[in-house]
Amino acid sequence: MTSTKSFLSLDKESKKKMVPYLLIAPVIIYYFLFWMFPVINAIVESFKSVDGVWTFDNYLYIFKNPVFYQALFNTGFIVVFSVTIEFVLAFGLALLINTKFKGSSIFLFLAIIPMSLPAVAVGAMWSSGLATRGWLNSLLMTIGLIDDGGKFLFLAGGRMATMWLIIIIDAWTVIPFVMIILLAGLQGIGEDVREAGAVFGGTKFQILRKITMPMLKPTITTAMILRIISAIQIWLIIVLLFGFNRLPVLLEQVVLNYDQLGAAYFERIGLALSVLVALIVSAASVFYLKVSGSFEKEAVQNE
Amino acid sequence: MNRMYKRQLRRSAKRASLYIVITGILIIIILPIFFLFSFSFMSDYETYSEWPKPLVPSLKAEFKLDKEVDGYHLFIFNRSENDFMPFGPLSFHDDAGELEKLQEFVKRQANCTLPVSKIREYMHKADSGTPVTFNLRKKLLANYVLFFQVVNGAPKAVLNSLMVALATIVISLSIGGMAGFAFARYFFKGKNLLKLSVLFVRMFPAVSIAIPMVIILGRMGLYDQPLGLSLVYSVGQISMSIWITASVFMSIPVSLEEAAMVFGTSRVGAFWHITLPLALPGLAACAMYSFIGSWNEVISAVVLTQFNPTFPVVVYKALVGSQGQINLITAGSVAQALPAIIFTLIIRKYIIQMWSGVKV
Repeated sequence: MTSTKSFLSLDKESKKKMVPYLLIAPVIIYYFLFWMFPVINAIVESFKSVDGVWTFDNYLYIFKNPVFYQALFNTGFIVVFSVTIEFVLAFGLALLINTKFKGSSIFLFLAIIPMSLPAVAVGAMWSSGLATRGWLNSLLMTIGLIDDGGKFLFLAGGRMATMWLIIIIDAWTVIPFVMIILLAGLQGIGEDVREAGAVFGGTKFQILRKITMPMLKPTITTAMILRIISAIQIWLIIVLLFGFNRLPVLLEQVVLNYDQLGAAYFERIGLALSVLVALIVSAASVFYLKVSGSFEKEAVQNE
Repeated sequence: MNRMYKRQLRRSAKRASLYIVITGILIIIILPIFFLFSFSFMSDYETYSEWPKPLVPSLKAEFKLDKEVDGYHLFIFNRSENDFMPFGPLSFHDDAGELEKLQEFVKRQANCTLPVSKIREYMHKADSGTPVTFNLRKKLLANYVLFFQVVNGAPKAVLNSLMVALATIVISLSIGGMAGFAFARYFFKGKNLLKLSVLFVRMFPAVSIAIPMVIILGRMGLYDQPLGLSLVYSVGQISMSIWITASVFMSIPVSLEEAAMVFGTSRVGAFWHITLPLALPGLAACAMYSFIGSWNEVISAVVLTQFNPTFPVVVYKALVGSQGQINLITAGSVAQALPAIIFTLIIRKYIIQMWSGVKV
């Protein structure tokens, strides 16, 4: 076995083979210490009571709580619609910028600003805007679209209205990020391929569907997976605009239990809930990879 | 001739509609950011007493002072009413205490400096019977100054945030950069798996990592310390750094290193004298990306800090707890957002380059 040999006694060729592993070793160690270890710790602790006795009670509490199912539904609704809308709009924007119209670089420059904004700033921006006496109503009044009696009560809507509001705000924040990924993919596809499509008589729409989309598929998968992962974990903007418990979503409930209720018992609930969220995120990602056929492609490559 | 004219017309119509769409999109993107900035420069009076709220903050405030039988009256020009409105106490007299209160009121509400001596001067003028009007320059940055004075621990929080960001950059760039170099120059088993680690790492919510980390960092004596927080941030930032540095090193041809080695440099020397200087701008971009990630993060910081919060935590608590008026909070938010915006705009080309190398 090679492991019994000391590093010095290895011949030069083997030493050379080890270089990349030495270079990535710190990453592995770091992930083990500061990711794997806390994750295992969280999973183990979620099955224990406050006194350290093994129990399922934390999970049973969650499953008996109707708020959990509300949070599950709300999160699902927001994820499905926000990811779809964001993808369609970001793809449109990426195609638009990729036409390299006059001024497209300035357009790109301005369009990526929202992705750099801290979550708290986004919260302050919209809570000052959507308040009944906020800038949005002010703007509408100043340009004469509404009068003082017609002010919109943006933040006082029902559950559906609130969810759509969150979807729109999330889209505003995230579209630049998705657009950048798609744009990077589009720039990787040479102009010549699309020109070839045009030479053979393809319409613009056909070229998009038959050439651009399939070639862009790996990029699309990356963008979608990243978005699904973080869309399921949406909570901060909701809390910043509506406070806790107004529109329950999964991660907001984790923070509520862990940080707000303030008893050791609830901390365990929060921990168990966060393990469930991690499970849901992984399941959704695997499901998407399966549906989009990324596994099959990998299998073909491995053969 | 006519057909050519028609075609030209159609083409320019097409271009015009393209630019209309683009302008529309830009308005949607810029407008909320514009108002965030605009609010941060508004005085309390503009924010709460003018309706509809002004779209741009004014640079000055216009006052009117007149004398009636019950004493002196101060008015301020209200832009939405387009008229002078009563401002401050119902009436006041030539009394040192009253005038000092008025001076403070003008400073708080209108962000203007109106010293007592000046008030006396205007009062004398008003004694003749005709009201006096005068303009005062508004202190634009008053909200920013006040935010750091009023909100507990805000200046120290900025310092904490900077320390956390610096430590995160050092950790993630050194560890991630080494791995990134391995990605760019070598083939090895498990390469793809490691490349996808950024996805795995993100699947477990950050809060859920932060909660057990409270105990782990506590044992290491790093709970509530900037270094402890940066250890947690680095988990996410390392994987991003691997992606960015890998694409940076890939863009530098191996042939340059080989050429240097032909001239007698060692492999390490070639890296040190050839590759590293060429990679420097890319690595700087990577550092800025780590900075943005760490500077903007809230939730892990909420869980992992107690007496040493980071700047985002302070702004978050001010917003959730309504510790201040909205114009103050927007000032805090802008102060927090500005470095992130500037760095993002500087490194935008590298962000695109990075994503072109990443595929699931």
